[in-house]
Amino acid sequence: MRSMSLRAGFGLFGERGLGENRLGGVVRPAGELDPLLFWSSALLLLFGLVMVYSSSIAFAEGSRLSGHQAHFFLLRHTIFLVMGLVAGAIAFQVPVRSLQKLAPWLAGLGLLGLILVLIPHIGREVNGARRWIPMGFANIQPSELMKLAVALYAADYTARKLPDMKSFKRAFLPMFGMIVMVGALLLREPDFGAFVVISCIAFGILFLGGLNARIFALLLVLALISFVLLIWLSPYRRERLFGFSDPWKDALGSGYQLSHALIAFGRGEWLGVGLGGSVEKLFYLPEAHTDFLLAVIAEELGFAGVLVVITLFAILVQRAFAIARRAHQLEHHFAGLVAQGIGLWIGVQSFINMGVNMGVLPTKGLTLPLMSFGGSGILANCLALAILLRIDWENRQPPRASGLGSFDMAAAHRVASPSREGMAP
Amino acid sequence: MKHTHSFNHNPLLSKRLPEWRARLVLIALLSGSVVLGARAMYLQGVNKEFLQRKGESRYARTLELSANRGKVVDRNGDTLATSTPVKSIAVIPDMAQLGAGEVAQLGKILDLNLTDINRKLASGKDYVFLSRAVAPDVADRVMALKLPGVQAQDEYRRYYPTGEMAAHLVGFTNVDDRGQEGVELAFNDMLTGKPGSRRVIKDRRGQIVEDVETIRRPQDGGNLQLAIDAKIQYLAYSALKQAVQQHKAKAGSAVVLDARTGEVLALVNNPTYNPNNRVKLSGEQLRNRVMTDSFEPGSTMKPFVAAMALESNRFRADTMIDTLGGKMTIDGATISDSHSHGMLSVAQVIQKSSNIGSARMALAFPAQHMWELYDDLGFGKPLKLGFPGEVGGRLRPWKSWRPIEQATMAYGHGVSVTLMQLAHGYMAFARDGELIPLSLTRVDAPPLHGQRVFSPEVARQVRAMMESVTQPGGTAPLAAVPGYRAAGKTGTAYKLENGRYTKKYLASFVGLVPASEPRLIVAVAIDEPSVGGHYGGDVAAPVFSQISAGALRTLGVRPDAPITPQQVAQQQLGKSREAM
Repeated sequence: MRSMSLRAGFGLFGERGLGENRLGGVVRPAGELDPLLFWSSALLLLFGLVMVYSSSIAFAEGSRLSGHQAHFFLLRHTIFLVMGLVAGAIAFQVPVRSLQKLAPWLAGLGLLGLILVLIPHIGREVNGARRWIPMGFANIQPSELMKLAVALYAADYTARKLPDMKSFKRAFLPMFGMIVMVGALLLREPDFGAFVVISCIAFGILFLGGLNARIFALLLVLALISFVLLIWLSPYRRERLFGFSDPWKDALGSGYQLSHALIAFGRGEWLGVGLGGSVEKLFYLPEAHTDFLLAVIAEELGFAGVLVVITLFAILVQRAFAIARRAHQLEHHFAGLVAQGIGLWIGVQSFINMGVNMGVLPTKGLTLPLMSFGGSGILANCLALAILLRIDWENRQPPRASGLGSFDMAAAHRVASPSREGMAP
Repeated sequence: MKHTHSFNHNPLLSKRLPEWRARLVLIALLSGSVVLGARAMYLQGVNKEFLQRKGESRYARTLELSANRGKVVDRNGDTLATSTPVKSIAVIPDMAQLGAGEVAQLGKILDLNLTDINRKLASGKDYVFLSRAVAPDVADRVMALKLPGVQAQDEYRRYYPTGEMAAHLVGFTNVDDRGQEGVELAFNDMLTGKPGSRRVIKDRRGQIVEDVETIRRPQDGGNLQLAIDAKIQYLAYSALKQAVQQHKAKAGSAVVLDARTGEVLALVNNPTYNPNNRVKLSGEQLRNRVMTDSFEPGSTMKPFVAAMALESNRFRADTMIDTLGGKMTIDGATISDSHSHGMLSVAQVIQKSSNIGSARMALAFPAQHMWELYDDLGFGKPLKLGFPGEVGGRLRPWKSWRPIEQATMAYGHGVSVTLMQLAHGYMAFARDGELIPLSLTRVDAPPLHGQRVFSPEVARQVRAMMESVTQPGGTAPLAAVPGYRAAGKTGTAYKLENGRYTKKYLASFVGLVPASEPRLIVAVAIDEPSVGGHYGGDVAAPVFSQISAGALRTLGVRPDAPITPQQVAQQQLGKSREAM
């Protein structure tokens, strides 16, 4: 157990914590958290908060919608973070097995949200996209929560059908049908970015679950063809694609946003113009506090700031996969697949967002996970990280207890106690 | 739940879960990070100059720092035109979220209609002016409200303290601070400063967020000191205005020259306009008649012919000329005098203003001789004062002159001049036969010698003849100036319209004061007087008298005549007549 933990989690902190806790006789979850995962997440969340404030301050002060209050977005982002952390703390108490039971229900709820958002008077349209359900104080973005639901559902589905993974009919088709349905709903909004991320999560989990390679190759070809078709058939996406390939050609039209993001990178140089010194955020760069937060980081903190963000995300993804590997080794395949799904989600979405900011990928409406402004996104990210930490925590529990999770929260703190075994459902 | 358990406990299945796939995906994701890192390094380390240049073109702006246009002042330094710093109040509607109370405060300070302000705020524009060119203290009061999105912008506004009094001379500038009329146009290059520039970074809404560098400091324009004396200008302005009103004339103009320096001490026209408020301007108001309108001068040309005659030694001041009972036929055309006289001396021809006497003197000389005199006096060509729109009048080449034409030109018909040219020509009498160039700007070192047109004796003789004009028995006793001897000549010309003479008149008087040693040349023309006479002696002469009396006092010129009771009586008579 000890050696395993070392291998899987470089468990410096965790290893010692585990020992201390054992000596102390009380098992505290904080002592058994993967330190790299915990700290990279915490840093990204805090860094995000600072940068959301910096990038939104001028916009908030200058906009009637925010009532000319400079701290408008800071205040909301802080509230979202607190809500996310509280939700995460609660989610951490939920045993992975219970989560697996909940997975289909959560997916159903997510689907319901995606349907609701399309209904007039319920969903709110902003800039031609119907992505939000107004809930008074904040808007809920169902597609963000759907990402987590899809990761859970796909992992549950794959874990259940592991023996059938070579079967096209039984393994592939049902999941494919589900993704087509979700995709159709997302493209109605439209939210192409969320569709890409959700597809990556779902098919990534199928792939990691051992789906027949030939089916997967077919799927890749199919996905490629449909993406190309989608892009060619929709002038709006085609324009975005061309804007990306040469933003200076129509720098004030389709290439406007990207050209300003690139200028922000150029101005930042190695160490940046200093926190708060961005010119791009002064109404030039649209969505500076959401989709183009990295550009403001690049301008204010330079290559150094960008490198920190890239590295923190890389560590986070690596930790997710390491935790997943450990879970698979413990034959907790659902947990492993969920961890991989979350790793894929954070990895793919952060890569796409940063790639868009740097002009490597066509512009999409995708936020930077854990950092960009947005309540639903932050909430979904915090829940995902809590689940990841829970999986890691369960990985570290003695073999007797593992796999016997309980809804009883007290039990979660004292899983070592054999008397609780009987309460397992 | 049951099936999950069974899978998890099957060792074969767990082995089949391909670990290489997880590695592959992780490696793919991590290489994505490497790609991003490399791309960031390229953008921020290699391509940065290009990107920064692109950025500069978006938000770095070169701002013009406006240079202050030079002042225009009169000979004593009194301001005629000046640029005053003003502020324009602008608003960014998107930033300004003003309550009804705040709008009301703005409206009160800026004296604006509340609905107008609200309309501008709701216009959907990025930037709207609420009020342009407001006084700095008003702008300060607006800025003290500290309303979001409300800004004050620095500007200069041209202000003309003397208003319509010197409008034609000074002219005005347009909104871009470029001269459009008058000396503002004529001396535009000198008055215009060189604007400076500075480099700033602006946010997308046009607010300056950073001052990069000052490229060039603004250079203010030079001040222009004109020759005119604001006090004399005012005298001329009010005397002329009064005469035009009193005689219900179409227009009028007057000019005062300093005989010693050639400086233009006053130049006025009526109708005029207020250069500070040019909302409704007609061409009539804008015309600087003194320099841009030529007219047939009539009898004011006679002294030149008399001088020509005396100069030849074939005539003397007492040489008698038969005026043929007031009618004379040349080439089948008849010319006449308004009053029939018999034999008149040369001096009397001037005093009584006999057309026939002048014509007979002129016809004693070849056309070329007379043309040369007129040409020497500057007629038929512009004075080249640099004034916009200046004209030269008409003097046809002598070869085409027929005797009847030479005869009429002797009394100022068939030739046209501007009032300024006429006044300039009289300088030959004022300066004992010499002409010096005129100047709109102050002259500190007048030329010692000018261009000689007449001998000093002839000039003095003609001056003496013209002095008799203002004396009892002359055509213009109303031109007399108390305390000074005045010399001059009346003109009452029929106006030409479409090549035909009409029953409309142009009454004029050109004179010199003090006659003993002339300091001023004052020329007055009243266009189409319709009430209270039409003769130059009745309409223009009193204006001359008024302007001269005031100007001489202003300049402190020593009187050269005792103030006689008759003169006072005459003045009073003149005044009472004017009052009628």
